[in-house]
Amino acid sequence: MEIVVCVKPAPDSETRLRANPAGTALDSEGVKWALTGYDESAMEQALLLKEAHPGSRVRVVSFGPAPRSEEVLRSALALGADAATWIEQPAELAPDPLLAARAVAAHLRDAPWDLVLTGKQAGDDEAGLFGPALGALVDAPSFGGVSAITHDPAARSFAFRRSVEGGSETVTAPVRSVLGLQQAANDPRTAKLPNILKSRRTPIEKVPWALTQAALGPHGRPATERVAFRLPAPRSGAKMIEYRTPDEAAEKLVRLLQGEAKVFP
Amino acid sequence: MLVVGEIRDGRLVPSSLEAVAAARACAGPADAPEGLLVGPAARTESGAFAAAGLGTVHCDADEALARPTPWAWSRAIVAAATAAGAETIVLAGTAAGRDVVGRVAAVWEAAGVTGVTAIARGPTGRLRLTRPVFGGRATEELEVAAPRAVLAVRPHAFAPPPAGTTAATASDLSAPRPEKDGRITGFERVAGGAGPELGDAAIVVSGGRGVRAAENFSLIEDLARAFGAAVGASRAVTDAGWRPVSFQVGQTGKSVTPQLYLAVGISGAIQHLVGMVGSRVIVAINSDAQAPIFRVADYGVVGDLFQIVPALTREVRKARGLG
Ligand SMILES: Cc1cc2nc3c(=O)[nH]c(=O)nc-3n(C[C@H](O)[C@H](O)[C@H](O)COP(=O)(O)OP(=O)(O)OC[C@H]3O[C@@H](n4cnc5c(N)ncnc54)[C@H](O)[C@@H]3O)c2cc1C
Ligand SMILES: Nc1ncnc2c1ncn2[C@@H]1O[C@H](COP(=O)(O)O)[C@@H](O)[C@H]1O
Repeated sequence: MEIVVCVKPAPDSETRLRANPAGTALDSEGVKWALTGYDESAMEQALLLKEAHPGSRVRVVSFGPAPRSEEVLRSALALGADAATWIEQPAELAPDPLLAARAVAAHLRDAPWDLVLTGKQAGDDEAGLFGPALGALVDAPSFGGVSAITHDPAARSFAFRRSVEGGSETVTAPVRSVLGLQQAANDPRTAKLPNILKSRRTPIEKVPWALTQAALGPHGRPATERVAFRLPAPRSGAKMIEYRTPDEAAEKLVRLLQGEAKVFP
Repeated sequence: MLVVGEIRDGRLVPSSLEAVAAARACAGPADAPEGLLVGPAARTESGAFAAAGLGTVHCDADEALARPTPWAWSRAIVAAATAAGAETIVLAGTAAGRDVVGRVAAVWEAAGVTGVTAIARGPTGRLRLTRPVFGGRATEELEVAAPRAVLAVRPHAFAPPPAGTTAATASDLSAPRPEKDGRITGFERVAGGAGPELGDAAIVVSGGRGVRAAENFSLIEDLARAFGAAVGASRAVTDAGWRPVSFQVGQTGKSVTPQLYLAVGISGAIQHLVGMVGSRVIVAINSDAQAPIFRVADYGVVGDLFQIVPALTREVRKARGLG
């Protein structure tokens, strides 16, 4: 089975967020680009499927500017991916999930694959657009919020859970589906030294932007423009409730939530 | 403009009405949005949906759409958008709603934006959308640069419109089903999932290690029930097996941005904070006045949760007229 995992370079989850001087985007100065939680879950699921079905291959694909994509592709190789493809994005193009899906779809048209795994959403923009858009563009089923995938080679299908409001659905989907992973319940594996060493020598296949641009034509531009990026005003510290009895604390708190905070009728 | 409603277990999902409110916020006064409902209950629910302020409600009553797959649903949505001559499609940003936006945007050649909390027009008349990013740690504004847009609005961001008296005109619609699609074969309710879903709830009450044992967690659940809130937990609680991981809030759990978040017996480790700092109002109850949670809280009570929580539950029940 040929499994493709799509990984997005995103700021490490412990990044201190700052807006650029114009207030239109994240200030990327000093940001460490990394695989974020959902993409780590997708990698983990791919490796589990590979272990359950020997002979399978895991290939990671990333659309992004240099050197961010290379950093996340190397991390995925270090986790145990067999091959990596970097689809070049010009630095002046803002990250955009729909554009990324079109770029990856153009690439997948001539590549072999049985299953595409993505994050349900990315750790930065939390759009959740890429996987469904990719599914539509390659004429395949797509599902998000997915966990616990098993593969039935005889039936050429996958079975998994999909988390929705109030519970989870059980779903089956044919080979050549696009599945967006829920955050893993357990911590995904970390890279082992031999893999880290091997990953440094694995060549990364590069798809130049000119090729993608020719395939996308008029769709080679983002459909949205980011015009503002703001951080919430720092909280000024809690208003501490003074009380003599628990009942008094409860009464005061409820009154504040109703009157001052207006979060409660 | 087209508003896509969602039906779950045969009933219109309340956030569908919020989507109507969002659509009306960006529609011109002369522009009556139309609606779409799918599944066998589409026609019976169309009246309630239209009453929120819709013209025609398109109904694809196919039994197979009772729980639609993203692919099948997207076909019906594009067909309805074409029938309505729509340039903008608005959906409720539930798990299922969010999961269809990218598909529709790709085939309908539109911009797609999820998690929308406010809709305005930019200086040049383009749609301008506000949405939280980085788990609510920041907010971005996007302007739509394409002629068409598909939007999913975040639950609770828009107040549902007061029910009007629009006479529903339901219109039948039938889109072709995809052939190689997956199949949703079952649904399992999560234990303890009686209240609202954690990711969508307007109020979340979370308990941490301070609760001390699985059986004490009922204190948190009682308070959540009094508020009509969802129950959350820190990782200390899910690691100890007191509650399943589906309850976990934080870096390796869910990100929540409710109107009100109560952290009870939670210290406020950074990995917990990244999952809830985007909440509008935060209340912390902790016996340790130095706990870092108080630095992000708006209101703090220093005290023993075993005394404070039952008193608070009583007070909230009283305030809500629950006796
Ligand atoms: C990679 C990684 C990922 C992680 N992801 C997450 C995550 O997603 N979510 C998450 O929550 N954590 C996560 N953690 C764990 C996190 O670092 C903390 O360990 C965890 O949040 C602590 O949970 P807690 O606040 O319930 O427990 P503690 O830190 O032990 O705090 C318990 C609090 O209860 C108070 N208390 C005790 N008794 C009482 C009482 N009677 N009345 C009132 N207060 C009382 C104490 O003063 C204390 O502040 C992660 C850690 C790592 C390393
Ligand atoms: N530029 C990209 N390159 C590869 N995969 C991506 C890219 N952007 C998004 N993805 C994948 O799509 C998921 C959802 O991203 P998003 O739609 O941005 O929320 C991510 O978790 C990745 O798996």
